[in-house]
Amino acid sequence: MGGRDKGQIRIVEAFLSVLIIFSAFTISANLTVTQNRTKNDNLASVGLQALIMLDSDGSLAKYIGDENWNGLRDVLNLILPTGVCFNMTVYDEQMQQINADIISNGGFGGQQIAFVEYVCASRGVTFHCYIIHLLLAVVA
Amino acid sequence: MPTISIDTFFACSLMVLLVLSAMAASSLLLSPHINGVSNENISERYAEISKYLLLNIGEPQDWGQNSQTIPEIFGLAKAGSENPYELDIDKVSRLNSENLYALSYATIFSALKMPDVSFRIELKPIFEVAINLTATYPSANEITYQFEISTGKQGIPVQVELKSYVIARSYFEAKNAFVSSGDTYINVTLSNAVEGHVLLIVIARSVSNTKIVSFGTYVFAHNSGEPNPNVPFLRFSPLNYTLNASCIYPEITLLDAYALAFNYYSTLTQTANSNQSVEYGIPHFVDSGPTLMVITGLNSASFFAEWVAYPQIPLEIGADFADSNSLSNVFAYRYVVTVNSALYECRVWLGGS
Repeated sequence: MGGRDKGQIRIVEAFLSVLIIFSAFTISANLTVTQNRTKNDNLASVGLQALIMLDSDGSLAKYIGDENWNGLRDVLNLILPTGVCFNMTVYDEQMQQINADIISNGGFGGQQIAFVEYVCASRGVTFHCYIIHLLLAVVA
Repeated sequence: MPTISIDTFFACSLMVLLVLSAMAASSLLLSPHINGVSNENISERYAEISKYLLLNIGEPQDWGQNSQTIPEIFGLAKAGSENPYELDIDKVSRLNSENLYALSYATIFSALKMPDVSFRIELKPIFEVAINLTATYPSANEITYQFEISTGKQGIPVQVELKSYVIARSYFEAKNAFVSSGDTYINVTLSNAVEGHVLLIVIARSVSNTKIVSFGTYVFAHNSGEPNPNVPFLRFSPLNYTLNASCIYPEITLLDAYALAFNYYSTLTQTANSNQSVEYGIPHFVDSGPTLMVITGLNSASFFAEWVAYPQIPLEIGADFADSNSLSNVFAYRYVVTVNSALYECRVWLGGS
């Protein structure tokens, strides 16, 4: 191998090092994704806890059974933190949407959006199972 | 100089330059994310600790009910409860510093058994009730006071049912409940035969869910001098459905005692009486939410009416995180909790020293 070739190989090595550096950038991008996931987990946890509290005495299924969508919207507005937007959809066992009205407190302008799926059952004589999809967003 | 040396020098310089700039760029780009991962781990740990505080019963399980018991392990959950985030009415009341049997921060800190964790707990109703005296209409034999009652959550009106009580010397009135969309007025008419300070209590219950309850109080003068709300005459300590009222001054004479809830009210019965304190039994009303106890009395000749809520909420206990220079990595967690079948907002702050 000639001396000129050795010099060229070192230039190739330099470009290989650039490749390694770009790999480092790729790792940093993955770290960013992990952090966003954590923030969404916190928001989802707030939404899940709100649904658990409403379901603890059966009132969540009662709102749905009575088709009291305005009441459900108002109570979610009260127990969720100020500055959190929500949009709820209620399905039956066959995943047919039940709520005729929109259960929401406004538009979704936030960057963080979390999704909560919750299953609740009625406590009446006739058994009903409802699947609730709750979308949450933090208003900037 | 041979060509190979120039090539090698150029390649080495390029490599050193690239590596140095890459290290600098990587350091700049990754540093916030590495810190973020570290904070994420701390946040997850603190989130679990905050849940532990609210979901754990503590040891002994009934440390709230017995005024002399100091918990070995701290936890606020109600023993035997089937629902998560249901807190014990007495454990919560013992966090209020106004209660004679309140736990100190140091006691809770020891019982938590986490020496590297500072905390602060706040409990309050989900919405606020504000009462303002807006107008007074005197006539020959009576005076009518007009109050503005506002119910809201951080400025957003909340539709509620309102129930109000008026208590003065030898006078008790329970007004009929009515619905308010968030801002309304009520009138209180008092005869000139009534004298002294008057206590107005308003209990508000959300129309959308009767478990969401709040209250407000207002003391005003009627044919007497202005009241000084910062000078209490009694110290209230409700615990285990018993109200202990300690007299702060020796000349105090107690007159009437009432227990008030949204749908029910009753007079309180004395169960014990000592030199400087009186005990009353607190009735178990079926209403969700707080029971408000009012005791009226005389300090020398001046009339007073003072109150306490059971559970003793709102309350706050713990470290003061306002001075953020002394602490790093402070995280706040918000929960909706149940106490005596009513919903409250609980905020837990956790940080390391």
